[in-house]
Amino acid sequence: MRSFLGALFEYIRASFSHYIAQPTTKFINRLVERLDTWARQETARALSDENEAPEVTAKRMGSVIIRSIPFMRPMFIHILAIFLFGMFLTFLFTFTGILSSDLWDNKMMVNDKLQPAQAFVLFVDKTYLREEFLDEQELQEVKALGFEGNKLTNDQRKTIRNRMLVWFFVGDIFGIILAFLLRYYPAWVWQNVNHYLRVAMVEKLEYLSLSFHHTNRSGDAIYRIYQDSSMVVNVLDEVVVGPLNDIRDLFIAFLFVFAFDPILGVVCLLSFIPMAVITAYATPIIRRLAVRNRVTNSNLTSRIQETFAALKVVKANNAESIVVDRFDVDAHKALDAALYVRFGMVALSFIVAIIGGLVVIGLEYLLLTWVLEERETNVPGWAVVFVGLMVWNLAAFNSANGRVGQVVGTGRGFVRLWCMLQDLFIGLERAFYFLDLEPKVFDPDDPLEFPEHIDSVAWDDVHFQYDDGTQVLNGVNLSAEAGKITAIVGVTGSGKSTLMSLLLRLYDPSSGSVTINDTDIREFRIDDIRSNHAIAMQKNVLFTGKVTDNVAFGLEDVEFDKVKQACEIACADEFITALNEGYDTNLGERGAKLSAGQRQRLTIARAVIRDTPILILDEPTASLDAKTEHRVLENLSEWGRDKIVFLITHRLSTIRNADNIAFLEDGKVAESGSHEELLELAQGRYRRFVEAEEVGLVDSQVR
Amino acid sequence: MIREFIQRRKVDQTTDTTQQDHTIISGFKAGAQFDDRLDIESEISHLESMKIVLRGFKWLKYVKALFITRWAMRTVIIIPGLFLGWFAKIVIDHVILQVPLVADDVNFPPHMYWLLEILEGREPLNIALILLTIYVFGLVLIGTRAGGTGAGLYTGRDAASSAENAVSGGQGGAFTGSEAGGIWGITEWWISVRLSQRYINRLRTDLFKRLVRAPMTRIDDQAVGDSLYRTLYDTPMVFTNITETVFSPFFTFVGLGLTFYQLWWTYAEVSMAIVGLMALMIPITIFTTIAPSRWIRRMTQNQRAAGAATTNTLEETMNNISAVQSLGAMKTEKERFAKRSAHAFWRARISMFPWLGVGIILQIVGWPLAFYLAWHVTNLVIDGQLTVGDFGALFGMYMGLQGTFQGLGRLWLNIQDQAAAARRVFFFMDLVADDEEHKPGNELGTITEGVEIENVGFQYPNGFVALRDINLQLNIGEVVALIGPTGCGKTSLAYLLPAFLKPTTGRVLVDGFDVMDIDLASLRKQTSYIFQEHFLLSESIRSNLNLANPDATEADMLRALEAASCMEFIRELPDGIDTVLGRSGDTLSVGQQQRLSIARGLVRDARIIVLDEPTAALDPQTESVLVRSLRSEAGDRLVVVIAHRLSTIRQADKIVFLDEGEIKEVGSHDELMSHEDGPYREFVNLQSSTQAA
Repeated sequence: MRSFLGALFEYIRASFSHYIAQPTTKFINRLVERLDTWARQETARALSDENEAPEVTAKRMGSVIIRSIPFMRPMFIHILAIFLFGMFLTFLFTFTGILSSDLWDNKMMVNDKLQPAQAFVLFVDKTYLREEFLDEQELQEVKALGFEGNKLTNDQRKTIRNRMLVWFFVGDIFGIILAFLLRYYPAWVWQNVNHYLRVAMVEKLEYLSLSFHHTNRSGDAIYRIYQDSSMVVNVLDEVVVGPLNDIRDLFIAFLFVFAFDPILGVVCLLSFIPMAVITAYATPIIRRLAVRNRVTNSNLTSRIQETFAALKVVKANNAESIVVDRFDVDAHKALDAALYVRFGMVALSFIVAIIGGLVVIGLEYLLLTWVLEERETNVPGWAVVFVGLMVWNLAAFNSANGRVGQVVGTGRGFVRLWCMLQDLFIGLERAFYFLDLEPKVFDPDDPLEFPEHIDSVAWDDVHFQYDDGTQVLNGVNLSAEAGKITAIVGVTGSGKSTLMSLLLRLYDPSSGSVTINDTDIREFRIDDIRSNHAIAMQKNVLFTGKVTDNVAFGLEDVEFDKVKQACEIACADEFITALNEGYDTNLGERGAKLSAGQRQRLTIARAVIRDTPILILDEPTASLDAKTEHRVLENLSEWGRDKIVFLITHRLSTIRNADNIAFLEDGKVAESGSHEELLELAQGRYRRFVEAEEVGLVDSQVR
Repeated sequence: MIREFIQRRKVDQTTDTTQQDHTIISGFKAGAQFDDRLDIESEISHLESMKIVLRGFKWLKYVKALFITRWAMRTVIIIPGLFLGWFAKIVIDHVILQVPLVADDVNFPPHMYWLLEILEGREPLNIALILLTIYVFGLVLIGTRAGGTGAGLYTGRDAASSAENAVSGGQGGAFTGSEAGGIWGITEWWISVRLSQRYINRLRTDLFKRLVRAPMTRIDDQAVGDSLYRTLYDTPMVFTNITETVFSPFFTFVGLGLTFYQLWWTYAEVSMAIVGLMALMIPITIFTTIAPSRWIRRMTQNQRAAGAATTNTLEETMNNISAVQSLGAMKTEKERFAKRSAHAFWRARISMFPWLGVGIILQIVGWPLAFYLAWHVTNLVIDGQLTVGDFGALFGMYMGLQGTFQGLGRLWLNIQDQAAAARRVFFFMDLVADDEEHKPGNELGTITEGVEIENVGFQYPNGFVALRDINLQLNIGEVVALIGPTGCGKTSLAYLLPAFLKPTTGRVLVDGFDVMDIDLASLRKQTSYIFQEHFLLSESIRSNLNLANPDATEADMLRALEAASCMEFIRELPDGIDTVLGRSGDTLSVGQQQRLSIARGLVRDARIIVLDEPTAALDPQTESVLVRSLRSEAGDRLVVVIAHRLSTIRQADKIVFLDEGEIKEVGSHDELMSHEDGPYREFVNLQSSTQAA
């Protein structure tokens, strides 16, 4: 019989292993492998142009926490207050919870007399007390009143019940007030912390050089500032306070569990080992999936932003269905990534839950045997003043079982927390990535005082190439003096605008130097340089807002008269006053409601109002008709008499107003001089340029 | 990094989310205005909010199977709950307190009888063993005693960062994820995530399509950041709304029915009291939630609009960073963002107030009921009519029921919250799309004759008259130049050709068909409009060209690039035509971008090509190459050029001189020059006098 049972057992074990355990393990292995490879590949692809490794080491986690601290410092007092308050409440709730559980279950329900402290909080007399707490005389008095023994009368039970209900009501009101405070107060604190980080990120972005912006998508910036930065609100709560709270609760729960019986504690502790091993194995996979999730969602954001920003072109090319398809592809990538990272967490959580659940159920059985044996608990004798849990009984079972559940549950909670932290750290790293970027163009350590009068600016053997290696400038030598208009001429892509960007320090030259009054501009503060320049850009960028705000863009407290004056010089006043609300008219998205020529005049006004020693007009009149152009240029040359003016243009009519003309070719100044001088060069490039322009004119002149 | 910390890196604290100039009361008021120029009437009535809820159901048709499966799984998993409460009672009464278990003698509902028969007469420990074995199976299958399944990630303290969880968390609302754990829980969770993802993605795609197809006149009024916010962050709320509206009442009533059933069989004498109390909860919760629902709707709208306004600022700055930097506006732009971001946070925060108010009221009105029940049942226990285990079971049921009933009361409020977001989505769904004003399906054949503009006038919605009484014949094979002073209506006139603008009076005929009577796509397919502003996508050059013509061959692309004089700089680029452009094409010079966008316009095999001052940024040589190549290809095309440059204008077959929205003169250069005091002649002379050497 015995051997039969043995064989049967062996058979069951073997078939379980063959039909269930092995295939399951294989399946899980393959699933994990596939998820992991997929995440690796995708991440590598997604991150190839951002120097972010997906590994979150302890060191990097530490660095993220430490770097979040500055943003929390302003709120330090409040954070501390919330923390201490929370701690106080946990102690309060744990204590009152045990007290009331004993009172309600063991005393009121099961009809046992009270411990002294319990009698005290319920304001009941000594007839409710257990006999061992009464001295001889009191015992006699109680007996005389007819309340003998350790059992309560039904009336006494009802009195206890009624008084407890009153306490519960008081507690509930207290709880409502707390609920309000505990939601609103932290919301204010953490929103502020997030706000500080957002502002810091935006500030950094505003100052990062254009070469950074050229290679980064706007949608990515939006995603990082919105989604990634929001993780900072969780750093303290979830990374520091949360685990600390959990550890504290765990510690308290462990104390109770050990107090009831050390065996319980040891079993709980042992259950943590497999949980930890499995988690350690799964963590890198989850991390990679989390990176993937954020990168794909950021790409989706970029896709949407770019489509809406270029909507006109989409319409003009009848490309609606194409952009929708592209959106669809990105959306599905993002959704899949979001699902898989969470699946990783859910699957891990499932395994850990089973381990934890088995421990809880097993210990519950153990506890039940102890209750039936009426085994003594390990609760120290002094505690008898508060609770009657010396022997395993209903309340002891409920309390201990609850604590075991709490210990194991906290272990599971840690695993879940750990998973979410992986995502949190990755989000924050992406947010801090912006803060880490060092602008390529930066202020010198000891900036020189910016000169009051600018006499000259010069480019001295300036070379410039973009990060991707495209050579734009190839040894430019050029100078300009106050009171002179310099025209920069050359074919498209010859580096005219780049030349000006260098003067503004939007970039720094690869070699050579740009000087103001013979001082390298890298010696000055960037803000000083830019505030001494006014530029009317080739792209007529207007911003959403009123006409006045657009003209006074970037300036603070500008008088209306000045705005109007600038608009008059730019010949913009005439059409602005014709608008419905004049200067208060709201321009559409990016000023789209105006015609190109109108927008151009506004950008000129924007340059004029800044009234700076250096004025740069990049294709200022391309969209203006000849009549308007003529008036604008006349006004400008009158207004800019003591300034250094640069004109970048193709238009002969504009060029002819210049005192000096620099013809750019192949990244060098090929010719320079006045219009007449350059025309005299027989094989001159400028001359050829002029001739091409005049092809159309010559015929009409004949008539 | 440590050093950085020690140096106590300074944090900009000039603004925080406390709003000095707003009181909490002002947050409750209507009429807060943000960036919106189209969506300005944001207040809706209770009835409208109901309609919005119902509208969301339309998208369920795309996810029918998933939705039904999910519903079924969620319903089935109620069943274990019918047993687990009784297990606990058995453990307390018959194991710990060792009351002998006799099947006929105790209060149990019928579905427990089979188990009681098994357990009857067994030793307490034996009973415990059987129950615990069931627990173990339950643990693996449905996660008994291990909790539900969900996988939300951390979110921030604003609406935008919570949106992702609503899409994919399986934890976005009360009825997502799974109540069960174990294998069942994982399966149900997966289905629920796929369900929400598919639904929301479908809705997003539809909204995206709508926004992309908005009429040209509307585009200018809609901020990019706002569209982004609506597409990404407002849409998830529509789905949350659906699940709450469907599942919340359903499961409340199922739960009610089951509880009642159990009560009836067990505690008949108290059950009437409990159910009566529950019934009282319904009018009380509804009464309490009606007043705050309007506030909740309004505050949610404002919170989201403020978030969208923040996005606008950010997007605008990022997209135009070179303008911001070269104008030295970094500081003011940062402050603008900070101000809006702070305001959005504040809006998100104060929208807690109505919820807190409702919570407090419900708590207070719920208390007397709970108090009465506790008093009544304990009396029965003390009098020996019920056991201690009975109290646990009864009170547990009461608390559960109270939760569900309050949940049902709050449902109305949740719906208001979500309806406010849903309204923001549906508002744009309702905007008339470009092509709907035309006759879809009425395909236009290849254009062979040309365009005739008959008595056309155009007035913008703001009252500005851009065109009046335009009569013009434009034929295939012609090169037409539109000229005139800035703001004279050249662009508006050109916009008529691809039907970017629909005439307010008169009609535009293409090959004799009124454009309003033909399928818009079939017209747009044959027109190519090249804007003065150029928008390139941050993708490869090839992909930018493919946008205009997905079927273009390499040879087509090269031809277009050559014609627009792009090849000279593309050859220099490291990856040639596959070079990925930076943000909005910024790695190229403005002139190069301009040429690329011209090439993009040419790569389409369009019958009508409109160049809207495309040559402003081009040097004369490049321009004459371009115009010459256009001329030579003009054979079966109509080329319309808006230009100022005389050298370009002169090459046109027909010159249209516009002023103040009216056509002043039409004719060839020679014809127009022959008009002694003609405006064109005056224009040419002015041009010549300023240009001629």
